Amino acid sequence: MCYSTLLTYDRDNNLIGDLAEEFGWVEDTTYQLKIRQGVTFHDGSDLTPDDVVFSLKRIQDPETAATNAPFFAEVSDIATGDDNTVNLTFNKPFAAFPFILASTNSYIVSQKWIESGVDPKTEMMGTGPFVFKERVPGVSITLEKNPNYFLPDLPYLDSILYQPMPDDTSRMTALRSGSVDFVDYVPYTQMGIIDSDPNLVFESDSISGFGWIGFNHETDPVSDVRIRQAFAHGMNRDTMVETAFAGYGSPITGGLIPEGMIGYSEDLEGTYNGDYDAAKALLDEAGHNPLDIDMLSTSSYSVIQRPAEAAQAELTEANINANLELQEWLTFRQSVADGTFPVHAWGTAIDYGDPDFLWNYMHSTGNSTKWFRFKDDQLDSMLEEGRFSTDEDLRNEIYHDIQARALEILPWIYTIRRTQGEAMASYVKGYTHLQSWVPITMREIWLDQ
Amino acid sequence: MGTFIARRLITLVVQVLLVATIVFLMLRLVPGDPARGILGETASDEQVAAMQHRLGIDRPLWKQYTEWLGNTLQLDLGKSLISGRSISSDIAIRITRSLELIVISVILSLIVAIPLGTIAALRANRLADFLLSSLAMLGLSIPGFVIGTIFVLLFGLVWKVLPQSQYVSWTDDPIAHMKLLILPSLTLAIGNAAVILRMMRSSMLEVLRQDYVRTARAKGLTETAVIRGHTVRNAINPVVSIVGLECATLLGGMVIVEQIFNWPGLSSLLLSGVLSRDYPVVQGVVLVIAVLTIVINVIVDILYGVLDPRIRLS
Repeated sequence: MCYSTLLTYDRDNNLIGDLAEEFGWVEDTTYQLKIRQGVTFHDGSDLTPDDVVFSLKRIQDPETAATNAPFFAEVSDIATGDDNTVNLTFNKPFAAFPFILASTNSYIVSQKWIESGVDPKTEMMGTGPFVFKERVPGVSITLEKNPNYFLPDLPYLDSILYQPMPDDTSRMTALRSGSVDFVDYVPYTQMGIIDSDPNLVFESDSISGFGWIGFNHETDPVSDVRIRQAFAHGMNRDTMVETAFAGYGSPITGGLIPEGMIGYSEDLEGTYNGDYDAAKALLDEAGHNPLDIDMLSTSSYSVIQRPAEAAQAELTEANINANLELQEWLTFRQSVADGTFPVHAWGTAIDYGDPDFLWNYMHSTGNSTKWFRFKDDQLDSMLEEGRFSTDEDLRNEIYHDIQARALEILPWIYTIRRTQGEAMASYVKGYTHLQSWVPITMREIWLDQ
Repeated sequence: MGTFIARRLITLVVQVLLVATIVFLMLRLVPGDPARGILGETASDEQVAAMQHRLGIDRPLWKQYTEWLGNTLQLDLGKSLISGRSISSDIAIRITRSLELIVISVILSLIVAIPLGTIAALRANRLADFLLSSLAMLGLSIPGFVIGTIFVLLFGLVWKVLPQSQYVSWTDDPIAHMKLLILPSLTLAIGNAAVILRMMRSSMLEVLRQDYVRTARAKGLTETAVIRGHTVRNAINPVVSIVGLECATLLGGMVIVEQIFNWPGLSSLLLSGVLSRDYPVVQGVVLVIAVLTIVINVIVDILYGVLDPRIRLS
């Protein structure tokens, strides 16, 4: 809200310019952005292409330890050009890169402000629609309208008061009693109540957030593909959606790429969905029927724990007795990174709106793939081809093949997508829920009261 | 009394040092890395290493320990790894909020439990005792989060008399602040009152059996004079000790109540510190709680002497 990105998404989930008014590949390995003129930071100084170059180089700098740094690995040069432009030169073409520029981890900051020695953890100063006014530790953060925001008439709200409410019941009670206008992270247990209340609106999607079963491929017996296939067959995803989220979600029976994204493959739907006999036959073939195995998950987030428990219940139908151990979040992550358990159940959300997000889970250099201790040369080369190709038709084909290959050798198994969204009073207008990879800006919201 | 306090102060320093060292070491033995927490789920090992370096948690343990101890001795608790804010000022803000809640809930529970505990003892094994003891058992058995959630639903949602809202400080709006205090302090007071009531009852029963009570009655003193002058005052010592312990426990142990009522106190700070492995925050909060616990115990010991001059603080 206080910062802006170079690119963002429109309501139809298409990439549009934010601080960049024009953008695109001018050559296979050169991406050019024309920076909007007349944009000012909240301290009154002008945004210049130098600030953009500084911000992007800061992400690239290993010292900063920025989340998006790995995506800048193939960027060989970032420099200002003529006519208020910034040019990024790549060693190889990188089709997904524009999506990285639209992520919340690619904010543009003022060079002068950062170099003045401020601590960006405690202060906020950007070009966004709202200006940081006050933080009361543990109580609230107040933002006020930026009167000099570069888009005319926006934002509509005069100010926003954020209140952290970690308890699900109190957060939802605060909305229902009218103490707050808008809440995020609506728990699935409250979705039905909100849906049936005429004074409230629930905006959600069942696309971005998903659960998975991961394996340590270096341990037996899950190093055997037949065992992993038995897991994949041994879970009825429709039942899991009911068990885990009372129906608020959707099953993943084929590829992970959602409808509407490059690479979505309708023909793969239904590959795995609770064929217990097939699962048992595979266990027999592998010499492990029944199979007793330890499975790890976390008790810190119900959106991860619930599908893990639903998976455990389903797997028993296929003679797989998973002893589920629940750990606290950071302990769980450490255990997964250390490969302590042969099987783990996790959940996350898609990072950005391009199928290249699969790299992280399937390419041998992907950070999650490292947890799986998995490598497949065929997947590696297909993912590289997908990342470095700019032809959309070709990419559709490549990502179809990637998903088909993944369903065959199962580096990991995706289970169900969860419904996630925000609830608000019916007088809150102008809000559109977009996928998890789209930053919420609140700039087009107003209160009709 | 002077020697007593001096001796307790020396013990305090040793105890605090011990607690600080144990907490420092234990935190680092717990699996989980603050750098991984900050960077999110998809961070690479290289990014994690770079973040560990930035946070200074990749240095040898003894270096981190001596530096932290040196700063702490100069009353500098450092900065949070996650938020970058000063830990001393965060604790200072939150401890007043916690103490406010604790003091009010303890006063409420004392006002209710001491007279009721006395009545239960005086009517031992009769209807009043049965009713009061059952009530106390109910208060003990229902967990605080159940009472809290029911309060939130009833008062906030159904009757809408005490709506859920953001924390408002005393200086900003005293009336709104008082309204916000009612439900969390009642929730805490119910559990406390149950403990105090039972303690008061059993302590009173014990005192009522003493010879001097029989003598007092035999002297012809009225029952009120016997109760006020000879039994309640003698029965109250164990209650003081329990109240002291409760206060110390609540300082870091009312996470659930703070979460349900959005009360931004010390427990929430401790919880978020533990969950994100924010080492300096946890160390700072535990240190402050340790000091306060010991101070509260000293106060309890002094109060013993005031309430019962036979106990000599030597």
